[in-house]
Amino acid sequence: MFEIKRDANGTISLHGRLDASQVNNARAVFAQVKESCDVDFAELSYISSAGLGLLFGTQKKLVDTGGGLTLINLSPHIREIFQIAGFDNIFEIA
Amino acid sequence: MLRLRPERFGRVNRGGIRGMTAVSGEFRREIEAIGEVFAFLETFVESQEIDEKTAFCINLVVEELFTNMVRHNEGGGDRIAISVERRDDRLHLELIDSNVEPFDPQTAEIPLVNAGIEERRPGGLGIYLVKKMVDDLNYDYEAEDRRMRITVTKTLEN
Repeated sequence: MFEIKRDANGTISLHGRLDASQVNNARAVFAQVKESCDVDFAELSYISSAGLGLLFGTQKKLVDTGGGLTLINLSPHIREIFQIAGFDNIFEIA
Repeated sequence: MLRLRPERFGRVNRGGIRGMTAVSGEFRREIEAIGEVFAFLETFVESQEIDEKTAFCINLVVEELFTNMVRHNEGGGDRIAISVERRDDRLHLELIDSNVEPFDPQTAEIPLVNAGIEERRPGGLGIYLVKKMVDDLNYDYEAEDRRMRITVTKTLEN
């Protein structure tokens, strides 16, 4: 299962497993992101290249306007995926 | 002893001899079948008491290879076969796609992982992750049967 929520502060929370079959659910929320915000991974247990691609596309859009996503509470396994992908160079990971 | 329910995974076979356990299943050629693939892998992971890091890895590896077949082998057979075998401390994964044109995923674009976001492009990331996370990745194609086979070996963490 995968869930995505956005709170009043604009923080996006990811829950469950973000795989290729779920990425369109997340796409609808990230499409609304127009300025810098946090993305909370605390409840995310899994991500594949489909989710990474979505984050990448959002980051690219924000960087063009001087903003960016800040990724918080990544699990060790997900953090490692980000490092292998070189995403630790293109995202702020808190 | 593995207890897989064939009705959940389509045709599932299981077998084992000392030091070796294998399961296989066939899955719909649809991105939406990923949930069934994960359920199949989870049963294997639990039965073999595979560590969390390796479990994450084989989920990701199988998802990337499976979705790659679904996307690039349009018009292929209805089902994609997946098998997982454990031989002592090594896992052997195999995906077979039938009635397809040759497509070696290793020819995918290599992402510029050290580049800044301005130079980066999104393509090729899935296969790149797979290659970085496994011991080896092999592709072969049988022209007579129009059958593609990808095999992966992964050593268990513990």
